[in-house]
Amino acid sequence: MMLRLSSISGAALAFVCVASVFATNVAAQDHTTDIGTLDKETADKAFSAKPPYSPYAGRNFPTRPYFGDTHTHTSYSMDAGAFGARLGPKDAYRFAKGEEVIASSGQRAKLSRPLDFMVVADHSDGMGFFPQLIGGDPGLLATPQGRKWYDEINSGKGAEAALDIITSFGKGQMPKGFPTPGTPAYRSAWRETIKAAEEANEPGRFTAFIGYEWTSNAGGNNLHRNIIWRDNGAKASLVEPYTTLPPLGSPNPRDLWKWMAMVEEKTGAEILALAHNGNLSNGRMFPIIESFNGKRIDREYAENRTRWEPLYEATQMKGDGETHPFLSPNDEFANYERWDKGNLDLTEVKKPEMLEFEYVRSALKNGLKMEAELGLNPYKFGLVGSTDTHTGLAAVEEDNFFGKTSSSEPSADRAMHPFVKTDKAVIMGWETTAAGYAAVWAAENTREAIFDAMKRRETYATTGPRMVVRFFGGWDFEAADANNRMPARVGYTKGVPMGGDLNNAPNGKSPSFLVAALKDPIGANLDRIQVIKGWVGKDGQTQERVYDVAVSGGRTIGADGRSRTSVGSTVDVANATWTNTIGAGEMITVWKDPDFDPALRAFYYVRVIEIPTPRWTAYDAKYFGVKMPAEVRMTTTERAYTSPIWYTP
Amino acid sequence: MLFALHGLAGKPGTDAPEKIVVSASRIANLADGFARTWRRPPNEQELQGLIEDYIRDEVFYREGRAAGLDRDDNVIRRRVRQKMEFLAEDMSVPEPNDEQLAAYLASNPERFRAEDHLTFRHVFLSATRRQNTIDSDSKQVASVLARADAAVDAAALGDPFLLGEEFRGVSATKVMNQFGERFAKRILAMEEGRWQGPVASGFGQHFVFISERVPGGLPPLDDIRPAVRREWANARRLEAEQKLYASLRARYEIVVEAPRERAAEAASR
Repeated sequence: MMLRLSSISGAALAFVCVASVFATNVAAQDHTTDIGTLDKETADKAFSAKPPYSPYAGRNFPTRPYFGDTHTHTSYSMDAGAFGARLGPKDAYRFAKGEEVIASSGQRAKLSRPLDFMVVADHSDGMGFFPQLIGGDPGLLATPQGRKWYDEINSGKGAEAALDIITSFGKGQMPKGFPTPGTPAYRSAWRETIKAAEEANEPGRFTAFIGYEWTSNAGGNNLHRNIIWRDNGAKASLVEPYTTLPPLGSPNPRDLWKWMAMVEEKTGAEILALAHNGNLSNGRMFPIIESFNGKRIDREYAENRTRWEPLYEATQMKGDGETHPFLSPNDEFANYERWDKGNLDLTEVKKPEMLEFEYVRSALKNGLKMEAELGLNPYKFGLVGSTDTHTGLAAVEEDNFFGKTSSSEPSADRAMHPFVKTDKAVIMGWETTAAGYAAVWAAENTREAIFDAMKRRETYATTGPRMVVRFFGGWDFEAADANNRMPARVGYTKGVPMGGDLNNAPNGKSPSFLVAALKDPIGANLDRIQVIKGWVGKDGQTQERVYDVAVSGGRTIGADGRSRTSVGSTVDVANATWTNTIGAGEMITVWKDPDFDPALRAFYYVRVIEIPTPRWTAYDAKYFGVKMPAEVRMTTTERAYTSPIWYTP
Repeated sequence: MLFALHGLAGKPGTDAPEKIVVSASRIANLADGFARTWRRPPNEQELQGLIEDYIRDEVFYREGRAAGLDRDDNVIRRRVRQKMEFLAEDMSVPEPNDEQLAAYLASNPERFRAEDHLTFRHVFLSATRRQNTIDSDSKQVASVLARADAAVDAAALGDPFLLGEEFRGVSATKVMNQFGERFAKRILAMEEGRWQGPVASGFGQHFVFISERVPGGLPPLDDIRPAVRREWANARRLEAEQKLYASLRARYEIVVEAPRERAAEAASR
């Protein structure tokens, strides 16, 4: 391929050499070299067999990430309906495909760009409850609770009713007549959900998955999981969703897994589950001691959890779940969109000792430790972000944020309206996070390809922007690979992608990683790329460390692997603007673990940080001409988290 | 409320008694409902109970309506509205024939027009790598490419691009998603078979060689029948709901007793 260069004029060749000088400006810190020569050498080394003439022939690896949302609620979710959502699954898919819709609040809404896929994931408990309640179902209204909610909704107090519904549900105190699987109202809601996905699904262009949310909320502690089908409606309609209220359902994940096994066996379908909001589980999302029986996690739990839950939703509107300053005191980016006041309904306040069992990073670390004990890692999951919107609108860009619920769609006072308020604590509207999306490296945009990529964890989470992130791990990556013209090909040839495994460390070698990020084409520049490493030391204690591997703006990375200089900020809060005069549009580098011990279990994942940009609250203040109180955060640093690559001795 | 009921009960029946007919199909209906709940048909005694219960319902329902109890009750109002909306939806789902679909397609072509698909290569000049020299570099690349032919591996003139150097058969939307709207608009308007540019994107500058363009246009009905059917049904649903409401509303003269200005405003609409 490079040989054909000789047919270009000498001037062009000279130019190629000149280009290499510019390349030293690239963010990759220490090994930018001549693009032309290295390319050839790398290609020679990378491929044992001679590649075909066309560099694109036989290329069946994923070449672009697909962006989507695995977590959109519509009016079919009881709480969404109570908050005023009027858009159903059909509208949600239309919006995701880039069509303009009228939001429940009457405002016109449209995405900047269509999404590639979506899962409408309405709550399985009480699916269709809201249409039933607002329709004045006599059975429901015969109960004091049902009557109260009905009256509240009709007198404009839908938000109060919704919170009361969530709280009652968390306490298992739902009224008689609540729709359950097997009833006609329930069946018809599920059938409509399936129908909407079937109609919206357009292989190659847009993937509409069939799914729902299993909303285990015992005691107000969030153990929610979304269930996704690989298959079409013919298989999904053979069953009805699993609920959490006994006797038909259960709040215990072990029972959900049993149900999933039953579904696969009886219907031949393939399904997966992904959990979210450990930050609102009060220490129960990633347990070492199971909250349901008080016993240590056993091998059966570990087997089922890894089998059924390949992914975790690490960031969404109810806060970010990567890590917490209490758990990661040396990580200055850890304090991001924190929701740590209590459980989901704020009926129980948070205690610091709960945090370890709530966040991604600590769970990944504990998983390594438990693997040593159980022979299997229960917390070997990949990462995605999603919205958890309850408006039917997966709109989480900072300048196009349609809120968590229909009552928090854009308005002058939404930021200062409490989101949850109890005698224990309050979470204000402004604390809602405009996040996130799921990015999936699939070979094509179909249910099957995206589902399979999710199963192999080749995914990453973003807090909203659509940056491209590549992460490959292997034993033979070298500096020159960062200048290869086809990083993906080198990556797949020499290593494993995000979500993969490394083992059998060759003697004397440390794992090396090809890491790259490209900014959102219409978004902000990148501040830096980091590799987060977690491991279990010889003493059996878990450890973590953050490495800056590529930084923008000519900053340097110290011997400790860190660049402590901030990228700065160009945000003009009053006007809600920023400029891309700082940061980098793209970064690529090869990083080798400087502290590798082949005897110790470890994981590595990538975090990409954007330069500061205005937070949605700044756009609101500007648009509505309101002044936000001092405690309201007005800037954000959007980010992406990849699935880890694990090293097992 | 209690007084009202006393009043009802005390009212002497002047006319001949009203008839309540429990038809055979009604009885079958009641039995079906029972079977759905209990997964077996009702026995004789249970069926008798169902019929008695139905008669009781009907008596109270008629008397209640006669007394106007339905009028101010939100529960009943909502129930009836929901029922009407369901009916409207039900009425709107006959299977369309090909003529109807073809007509719908012809009158809404913009909804179904397939996008243009492009196959193109690009030479990428990275704003990050080149910073202050990007404009002069861009001029040099332009002059080289002016003399280059299609066979030249021109991408090597520029910088590596994470998403690759060649994009094959990508839709206009995909181009927009990956490079931004302005870039997409520029290259969609370009002609094939020669290097053109630079075109700016959020990443830097690009020289583009379009080797193939598959124009979108309106596909024949056979290729997109499910999509047309879906849109047709959606349009019918909205239309039927609207029509039903309009026809029902037309039966009423609506008086809104609102504050004066607002009423005037409403009337002027």
